Amino acid sequence: MRFLPEGELAGLLAALSQEAEVWAPARRPNGVVEFQKWEPGTAVELAVLLARQAPKEMVFPQTETYLGYRYLMACPAVRPETPEEAKLELEGEGGEVVAVSPSVSHQLLVVEDVGGSSPTRADVAGVELPGTGARVIFGLRPCDARGFAQMDNVFGGYGGFYFDPYYNARREVTTLVAVACANPRSTCFCRAVGGSPSGTEAVDLLLTEVDGGFGAEAVSERGQRILDYAGFREARAEEEQAVAAAHARAEEAVEAPFELEGVRENLRANFEDARWHDLALRCISCGTCTYVCPSCYCFNINDEMVEGRGERFRCWDNCFNPGYTLETSGHNPRDAKAARFRNRFSHKFWYYPEKYDSLLCSGCGRCIMHCPTRIDIREVIRTMGAPAAELPARAEEE
Amino acid sequence: MSSTQDAIREAAKNALASGRVDYFIGWTQGHTPSEAIPAFIRRPEEVDRLIWSPLCHHNLVTFLKRKMPDPPESRIGVCVKGCDSRTLVALLQEGLVDRERLYVVGIPCAGVIDKRLVDALFTDEVTEIDFEGDLVTARTRMGESKEFALADVLLDQCGGCYSPNPRYADELVGDTLPESQGKPQFPGLEEFEALDSAAKDALLAEAFSTCIRCFACINVCPVCYCWDQCVNRSRRPALVGQKVDTKENTLFQMVHMFHVAGRCPSCGACDRACPVQIPLYLLHRKMNKELYEMLGFMAGMDVDEKPVFQTFRIDDVLGE
Repeated sequence: MRFLPEGELAGLLAALSQEAEVWAPARRPNGVVEFQKWEPGTAVELAVLLARQAPKEMVFPQTETYLGYRYLMACPAVRPETPEEAKLELEGEGGEVVAVSPSVSHQLLVVEDVGGSSPTRADVAGVELPGTGARVIFGLRPCDARGFAQMDNVFGGYGGFYFDPYYNARREVTTLVAVACANPRSTCFCRAVGGSPSGTEAVDLLLTEVDGGFGAEAVSERGQRILDYAGFREARAEEEQAVAAAHARAEEAVEAPFELEGVRENLRANFEDARWHDLALRCISCGTCTYVCPSCYCFNINDEMVEGRGERFRCWDNCFNPGYTLETSGHNPRDAKAARFRNRFSHKFWYYPEKYDSLLCSGCGRCIMHCPTRIDIREVIRTMGAPAAELPARAEEE
Repeated sequence: MSSTQDAIREAAKNALASGRVDYFIGWTQGHTPSEAIPAFIRRPEEVDRLIWSPLCHHNLVTFLKRKMPDPPESRIGVCVKGCDSRTLVALLQEGLVDRERLYVVGIPCAGVIDKRLVDALFTDEVTEIDFEGDLVTARTRMGESKEFALADVLLDQCGGCYSPNPRYADELVGDTLPESQGKPQFPGLEEFEALDSAAKDALLAEAFSTCIRCFACINVCPVCYCWDQCVNRSRRPALVGQKVDTKENTLFQMVHMFHVAGRCPSCGACDRACPVQIPLYLLHRKMNKELYEMLGFMAGMDVDEKPVFQTFRIDDVLGE
């Protein structure tokens, strides 16, 4: 094991930032701790345990432009009068017209590709996207890192499914330097979902805070290379013992509030159960839980066009949003709050596991901490993940 | 305090046992004794879960607005504090809830605490908060403990509360508190008001740059009830952009602020729900100050009053 004396931390971050953008938890002026770009002088905030939001935005930005374009609307009342004329006008301005939309009534779009791209798997390496230079995320927790592993399944072509070039362009150049949790919160439940406060899934380098500095264990080649920094020295025997003790202590401090055994099957069996309505009563149907979550990954694609310029972009979406499953006809198969509520938990503990053979939850507990009404995912899984015969009684059934 | 708690339980038990309501909404302990959360009680024997303490900050009226009751036609018992009751009055004024389906238990309130102020006093997680008169004791998970005065950790708005007693209730529990005398005060705005337009823009841009558009502020708001028809979500027409950036976030927040003007009594539910701590409360207070000074109107004071934007009086004075 290597060891980084406390005084060397800023030096390490400075050295890392020579070759990569370094992001670390730091306090905003209003006191909220978020992952921010590290610069010399930035105080890294590890004492709060969890940054307000998981660092998923580093690889999955909340808003990402796919395509930028210019357009001219052709209609008989104003020039240009025909799509052909509009095409000529755009070409005259130096644009290459890549598509002329089919006629819809009197409105016609002439589309010119002026940015963004639609890369394929083969040319990811050559794609220029914002934020695709080398990055180090420092000070995330093992649960945050597991969130990346869980999103990797969805975006990374797992099992021959979709490979997302945007996600992977960032993910492939991102190094995760996790810090093991010294003092888990009452909302932490990583152990219940197969994790650990010193877990190393998706982690490149794991640091553990002990007296005088950080014990450092490389998990990947990338992590190993960071250990080349001259500020690391070989850990002394007592430091190695302190690291092992810190891991054991944290492991002990995390409660395991439910058993995973049978949850998937029971969620299926309880799908229509009325208790979903009881649990959802407290839910205000916002999206806070999904946006602070390290693994919720749903997104929506929008076209927005203003004054001759348009953009097609994706932005985070969530299953509580009324537009999430709204169909063109106006029908919404998940119109009621309880149905939207059920989806989040079923997705994490049933639908996703069926497809990817792992969970979509790393037990960070942010959804509990930041929910305006403290909806507790542990309570939901304990209740709805239990065999039907063990469900709590309801007034109507007595 | 405990006598009020007992009275709430008694009221809930009676309402449930008599079949007056299908469920009763009050507050109960959260996953640790440092928090209260909304509780939905269906059976008389469950009423002992209900609590009353300065932790009970949630405005439960939000669970009465359209699309919240489940099933929609439920008859509901609900607890309201003074400020909460004004949001209910605002809904009643507009005929947006059916008072025949409600049983409202009103609670005079001397103030609830801002948990964020308590959290800020510790590095470790606060897991226990106790009240003894005006003294608050908070303890952390690792056992650190501090004592402080209740007044020091009350919500900002509780200090200058204009309506500690419910403005509407079917039953009142606890002792009535002295009503505020004189004109309502809107403190804490001097600094903002002294800024020029450019500086105000900059301040708002800074605040809204961190918005993640989770919609907690509008969904938790009892008087913000458009739901699926909300202009902020509409894609056809796409009036508010869905890109999460400072410009669109600002538009979104401004729309919310203007749409609830005249209904919003500054209960502060939006401010407390915001996961990134945007100072929404101050902005709503500013709006309410403008409404009061321009039109002499305060939201949710009297069930029989017409909401300010549904009337036009000959003496409505716009400006000086």
